[in-house]
Amino acid sequence: MRVLALLPDRCTGCLRCELACSYVQTGSFQPAKSVIRVSPFEGYTSYAPYTCTQCAEGWCMTACPVGAIRINAAGAKDVLDDRCVGCKLCTIACPYGTIFYDADTHKAYKCNLCDGAPACVEACPTQAIVYREAETADWLGDFAAERTARLLAQEVA
Amino acid sequence: MSPTATAKPSSSTSRPAQPLPGGYAGKLLRVNLSTGKVWTQPWSPDEMREYLGGVGLGAKILYDEVGPKVHWDHPENRLIMATGPLAGLPVWGTGGLSVITRGALTGGATSTQANGFFGAALKFSGYDAIVIQGQAKKLSYLYINDDTVQVRDAAHLKGKDTWETQQALEAEHGLSGHRLSVYSIGPAGENLVRFAAIQGDYGHVASKNGCGAVMGKKRLKAVCIVRGTKALAAHDTRGLIQAADDIAHDLKTDPTTSTLYHWGTLFGVTNLYKLGVLPIKNYTTNVTTVDMAGWEPAKLRHGFDHRGHQCSACGMHHCHIQVIRKGPHAGERVDEPEYEGWSGAGWQIGVTDMEAVSWLNTRVDRACVDVNEFGWVCGWVMECMDKGYLTEKQVGLNLKFGDAEGAYRLLQMISHREGFGDILAEGVKRAAEKVGGEAARCAIYTRKGASPRGHDHRGRWDEMLDTCTSSNGTMESANPTHQTEIGLPGRINPFDGEQVARLTGGILGRRHFEDSLGGCSFTFRTRVEMLARALSAATGWSYRLEDAMRLGRRTAAILRAFNLRCGIGPESEYPSERYGSRPVDGPAKDHHVMDQWERMLDVWYETVGYDRKTGKPKKDTLHALGLPWLAKDLWRK
Repeated sequence: MRVLALLPDRCTGCLRCELACSYVQTGSFQPAKSVIRVSPFEGYTSYAPYTCTQCAEGWCMTACPVGAIRINAAGAKDVLDDRCVGCKLCTIACPYGTIFYDADTHKAYKCNLCDGAPACVEACPTQAIVYREAETADWLGDFAAERTARLLAQEVA
Repeated sequence: MSPTATAKPSSSTSRPAQPLPGGYAGKLLRVNLSTGKVWTQPWSPDEMREYLGGVGLGAKILYDEVGPKVHWDHPENRLIMATGPLAGLPVWGTGGLSVITRGALTGGATSTQANGFFGAALKFSGYDAIVIQGQAKKLSYLYINDDTVQVRDAAHLKGKDTWETQQALEAEHGLSGHRLSVYSIGPAGENLVRFAAIQGDYGHVASKNGCGAVMGKKRLKAVCIVRGTKALAAHDTRGLIQAADDIAHDLKTDPTTSTLYHWGTLFGVTNLYKLGVLPIKNYTTNVTTVDMAGWEPAKLRHGFDHRGHQCSACGMHHCHIQVIRKGPHAGERVDEPEYEGWSGAGWQIGVTDMEAVSWLNTRVDRACVDVNEFGWVCGWVMECMDKGYLTEKQVGLNLKFGDAEGAYRLLQMISHREGFGDILAEGVKRAAEKVGGEAARCAIYTRKGASPRGHDHRGRWDEMLDTCTSSNGTMESANPTHQTEIGLPGRINPFDGEQVARLTGGILGRRHFEDSLGGCSFTFRTRVEMLARALSAATGWSYRLEDAMRLGRRTAAILRAFNLRCGIGPESEYPSERYGSRPVDGPAKDHHVMDQWERMLDVWYETVGYDRKTGKPKKDTLHALGLPWLAKDLWRK
């Protein structure tokens, strides 16, 4: 399946992804409502785009009491607006802070991979956001596996 | 002033009935620093279409609200920070800001642009422009967070340079990077240095005509603005994104802009040297023994650890932050110099050590003066000391060409108005006139009191003519971009005054249009037709090339009328003796611009439709531009 790979090394902090994302999310340009956000480390001239990694085990989905979060055709966890009651449990459950509550619509919202054609990828002028094939949707899982192996090795030693 | 003043509309009945065009926030933020009053003023879709934003809007406000007796340092002078309809949209480089005011160097109109994220943040906060009037009782800063607008005490920021100011405000508000856009003055602005600038977002400078001195006189240290949470709609979003993509494609692939796309303005050093246009040691020569291969763009960029530091929505490989690699300032983080920095803080003052130029350039931005004027002032002192026109006793230090540390000491003296620095702080024209004698003959400036950008215009006549005739404190139409689009020749003989004047006059208006949109003159270096397309998609108007040029020329005419009202007319449209001299060597040495100057002025006036004698735009010119009210003002008996 295809996932969003975020490559902070390439990011120059122009925030064009936030504009594109907010357009898809809300119909207008409003970076405050973008679900991809660039964390600035201005002191190092370093910028890191960040959004939902589509965890294999979707905590937002598990927490939702009304079953409003489903997996869409692109493999993304997606909020069904007509089911969401705006209880915000998902925003508490998410360990990464990548599902949000919209005070205007009273619904939760998150990255749904734009149903398979992510606008942020198209908008990024430096290819810091790439939509590519991966074994699982959960590319942070690779990091987790690597870290577990490293810590276990330390324990053994 | 209430400590939590909220920007309220001036009156509920003045809301326009017509729907707001896309790309606009629909309100101007008004601040009176004398009273602490903050309010918003709606403007109508008709006004938006007539004046767009940026310099178009600013010129109109300046003309309407700043009378001839309101000099640059008068509290009633306006400091207008305006953005335009494309700011905050995905067209590349659209975080733009135009600063419009009555400036300290020429005493006339100023329009000077900077980028970063300010313009986008302003729009997402719900404003198209900030109009500042009055004078604060003590040093203050303006804080904007959506509807919360406060004039706050800035005692803790006093004396801080611009980067320190931004860092302090970031820490104070717990926001970093592009979450908080800060434009501020440095010590130079606080001390009313006549060529003080306004710097923001680590490396972007609205630098011309002493706009920083105006801000300093208002005792306004900084304007800081949180990114803003409001929505900005475009009329035809798909059309807008397509236009943005087409502009990006054009910038990447067109042979005249692809270098700019890859390297920003770094290629200027070697390219302009070949034309005799790189200023070396205060116009005393145009040749060097330095190996220019070492000044190719790749050497300048990759000679440092560097990282992209782009403006809002920009994909150009232009702005970078770099780290000084070696020497006394190793490890210091600086803004990669623009061509203007390599020239003003480098070649013009004889400094050809890259690390030193790079360091000095950012120091100039931090103390916050215009890097060009600084170069002309510093290079002038260096030449005068070299020739014995100025002595060590007079100046307070021994300054030689190539001495970056000495130049830095001079910068500090200027920005704190210490000793001889107090005279230099008046700008090169006034300092030269004060010192007089042979020294005065070496100074580079226009008779209006402005100075050229970092070029030796004795090899680039179009810009010299433009700099001398312009009404905004710097060049206003050169250098011509895609001029074939409006029926002008692609190439001319650069030393044929008549052709030069026809081209410079013919392109007048293009830059005013660009500077009304809220973007960058580099990402807008595409065809006007493309920009008009983006504007049409954003706003829903049908804006064409002719509309764009007409709008630009209208703005130029308003700025000129403002200057005429201030007593600045055609008598001052001349370069200083050195600025207009014959180059002593190099590629342009056989050409002397003054041989053709009067003829150039004649042709320029004829081309732009202004009256040669009075300098006024002619009646029929103004009517053709749709400015009957201005014709009435200017030609009233």
